[in-house]
Amino acid sequence: MAGWFIILVAAIYIGLLFGIAYYGDKRADQGRSLIDSSFVYALSIAVYCTSWTFYGSVGRATQSGFDFLPIYLGPTLVFCLGWLLLRKILRVSKANRITTIADFIGSRYGKNAALAGLVAVIAVIGVVPYIALQLKAVSISFTVLLNYPAIGVGPLEGASSAFQDTAFWAAVCLAAFAILFGTRHIEASEHHQGLVAAIAFESIVKLVAFLAAGLFVVFALFGGFGDLFQRAAADPELKRLLSFEATGGGFSWIALTLLAMAAIICLPRQFQVIVVENLDERHLDRALWLFPLYLFLINIFVLPIALAGGLLAPAGVDPDTLVLTLPLAGDAPSLALLVFIGGFSAATGMVIVETVALSTMVSNDLVMPLLLRWRRLGLAERPDVAPFLLGIRRLAIPVLLFLGYLYMRLVGERYALVAIGLISFAAVAQFFPAIVFGLFWRRATTPAAFAAIGGGFLVWAYTLLLPSLARSGWLPVEFVDQGPFAIADLKPYALFGLNELDPITHSLFWSMLVNVGALVGVSLLTTQSALERTQAALFVKSLEQAEAGRLWRGTAQLSDLKELVARFLGAERADDAFRDYARRRRLDVAKLAVDGELVRHAERLLAGAIGTASARVMIATVAEEEPLGIDEVMRILDETSQVIEYSRRLEEKSGELQAATAELRAANERLKELDRLKDDFVSTVSHELRTPLTSIRSFSEILHDNPELPPEKRDEFLGIIVKESERLTRLINEVLDLSKIQSGTLDWHMADVDLAELARDAAAATSQLFRDKGVRLDLALPDKTPALWADRDRLMQVTVNLLSNAVKFCPNAKGRVTLAVVSDPDAITLSVGDNGPGIAAEHHAAVFERFHQVGVTLTEKPQGTGLGLAISRMIVDHHGGRIWVESELGRGATFRVRVPRKLALAKAV
Amino acid sequence: MPEDLRRRDRLVGLFLLALVLLNPPILWLFGRGSALFGLPLLYVYLLAAWLAVIAAVAWIAEGRAMRRRRDEEPRP
Repeated sequence: MAGWFIILVAAIYIGLLFGIAYYGDKRADQGRSLIDSSFVYALSIAVYCTSWTFYGSVGRATQSGFDFLPIYLGPTLVFCLGWLLLRKILRVSKANRITTIADFIGSRYGKNAALAGLVAVIAVIGVVPYIALQLKAVSISFTVLLNYPAIGVGPLEGASSAFQDTAFWAAVCLAAFAILFGTRHIEASEHHQGLVAAIAFESIVKLVAFLAAGLFVVFALFGGFGDLFQRAAADPELKRLLSFEATGGGFSWIALTLLAMAAIICLPRQFQVIVVENLDERHLDRALWLFPLYLFLINIFVLPIALAGGLLAPAGVDPDTLVLTLPLAGDAPSLALLVFIGGFSAATGMVIVETVALSTMVSNDLVMPLLLRWRRLGLAERPDVAPFLLGIRRLAIPVLLFLGYLYMRLVGERYALVAIGLISFAAVAQFFPAIVFGLFWRRATTPAAFAAIGGGFLVWAYTLLLPSLARSGWLPVEFVDQGPFAIADLKPYALFGLNELDPITHSLFWSMLVNVGALVGVSLLTTQSALERTQAALFVKSLEQAEAGRLWRGTAQLSDLKELVARFLGAERADDAFRDYARRRRLDVAKLAVDGELVRHAERLLAGAIGTASARVMIATVAEEEPLGIDEVMRILDETSQVIEYSRRLEEKSGELQAATAELRAANERLKELDRLKDDFVSTVSHELRTPLTSIRSFSEILHDNPELPPEKRDEFLGIIVKESERLTRLINEVLDLSKIQSGTLDWHMADVDLAELARDAAAATSQLFRDKGVRLDLALPDKTPALWADRDRLMQVTVNLLSNAVKFCPNAKGRVTLAVVSDPDAITLSVGDNGPGIAAEHHAAVFERFHQVGVTLTEKPQGTGLGLAISRMIVDHHGGRIWVESELGRGATFRVRVPRKLALAKAV
Repeated sequence: MPEDLRRRDRLVGLFLLALVLLNPPILWLFGRGSALFGLPLLYVYLLAAWLAVIAAVAWIAEGRAMRRRRDEEPRP
């Protein structure tokens, strides 16, 4: 077949793709989306089926039978869980404008830019072989067609310039397409509707082409399935392929299923079409079975074609090209051309979406974060970053394709298609634990994700990537056969002597052991920051809550936010976005309040363009965010505990106040009492003064009015007047004394006093009283007592007062008073006892108060001034002593005065 | 929404069933190289089991999609 003709057909096909993509974009711009359907969505997911499926599966089936199938059973299983897993990923990604798998993981683990960068690097390294696979498939299929009518001329041995060039020019064309439709503009949503429309179309083409080839082989070359299988069963080599044993045992099957389950989510292009390009979450409902059905259909004829190849194909045919060589062998070149276009569409679809997804990842999660942090570049301050961002992506796409081309030239030529693809699967599968655990286990921490992805990647590189390089001659082949430095335990295909597993299963086992082990182990050993915890909750609870507004405390200007968004999205799109936001809330766009929600909205808009980690950095430049860090939480807690503390103190204070109030009330009571006492005092004093005054006055009047009174009467009256005057004087003296003592102005004449002698003097002074009343006074005095430092006159006053009181209360005839002085080492006690009526216990304290006269009412004639005992107590107090009474009603009373011998110096002065 | 929860649980159950049906211990049983109506048993079994799983997913998921559409119909 002529080369120019094949190229022309391919070019027409590519042109058709351009047309569809252009139309799709145009319809999207008009708002009449071409791809807003669950069928298109499911078809776009079928970008999963690449040259690997189209050519590689058959090649694989000729080697190990059903072994090709787990790669498609895995996604079916995942889609059974779609409702749980995919919907959650969709929700989270839409809510946070996540655009790549790197973004997803970085965002989940505390918006960590370094983690996102690591994922991006691994994705690039891991997927490059996969791109190489597609380029290789394009070139070998081209070569097969080119060699027709010759069949079975090994394209690999030839390594002709055409072979090399096809791959190269295919790469150039694909780069152009990806750049045109994958990086048209920066958009917050990152939808590429034209691209998706083209991909969906390609999915139809490859399915139709493959089914056509299958039908042709089964029904044209053979007489149906029965005929084919019967003839295959006759061949012992082919019969082997029909048993499960050919697949290499159960472990390999399970490992491949797991790999495919991981890949359907973790492959950058699958994330792109399933999550990023999803227009409506409801499309997922139908895609859950449509996509597996697509996989089912495209796999029905794989084994029949492989068996037919075994029966019909001439020797030397590359098994990976059987889909193409069988129609050629059956003399159906036009069908072969259709098959070629089908394979071409499988390859181009994958390469286009993959490079677009990777370029977004490289620009958003790798280049931009670095450039934004590189202050000298001043990127963060540039007015319009969007063209720059597009530039990075447009540069990334050819670079990625060139890397794929390089890998194909350097390594891939020696590998079968599926073997190359599986290396990629095993690489991206390293993201799977971090994603799944991240979605369902809140406590998975950022360091754990680092350890898991990094560790798993290193094991993968050691057990799969390095051996592939070694086998291609880029490393010494002894590295694989004998292990590095001939250490057998480190052989990359048989670590620690584990040689029972095939390389893929072996690598998957060790890398997942490290990966999951690190994820769980490190998570258990580390703690999360506040941001990590918020993000983790956001992801894990994404299905329960529509949108969790992050706590945001900070300040920002609306104009700053708009300007920032405009720099990345362009002024028009930014305006639209803010107007939409305002309209949804029925607000005026100019009067939007810059609250947490708006800032978050702006951050999400940016995240769509430059990734979550970078968006966070950019938002931080205009919004003075005070994240709710642990300090903040602690402060809030502090505030709470302070409130508690305050309330506790308040309680204390109120308690104190209550106590103070009680004291005040008591003091008030006391004051009132004192006031009452003062009133009493005044009235008593007045009364006391009036009584003698009245008698003096009345007797004076009598004397004045009756000059002719007999002299004896006059003498008697004068005597009364004199006596009453004396009493008056005494009373006034006592009142004066009292007030002097109380005010502290009384002069004290301190000297050594012998209390016994003093008592004798007092007895002598009052002897007349006793004689008058006929009361007997007994003295019990020692000859001499130790000297007391005291005021002799005042103590004399006390003693006399006590004696005269005793006389007063004694019965006239049988009265008996005892005066005694007793000295002990500490003090000297003077006591005056009588046999009067006694004093009730409740009055013992009261008798020492002023004007308190026990048993005396106003009707009776007062027997004293009522001040004597009060004054006595003050005097005794002044000497540091004590005066008290011991008595019972009817059994007399004994007053005692106890004065300490060692008077405190202070008191003496 | 208990209806959605029930469907979710059904899908999870289906996943577990598919996991068993499409993996080794069962596949060993069918993969001994025997034939059914002239077709290899393993080939027939795998395709049949796979299709059954897909059909079950469709039955569960479409029920939900129908219900959604029904819910949305009254709206203009």
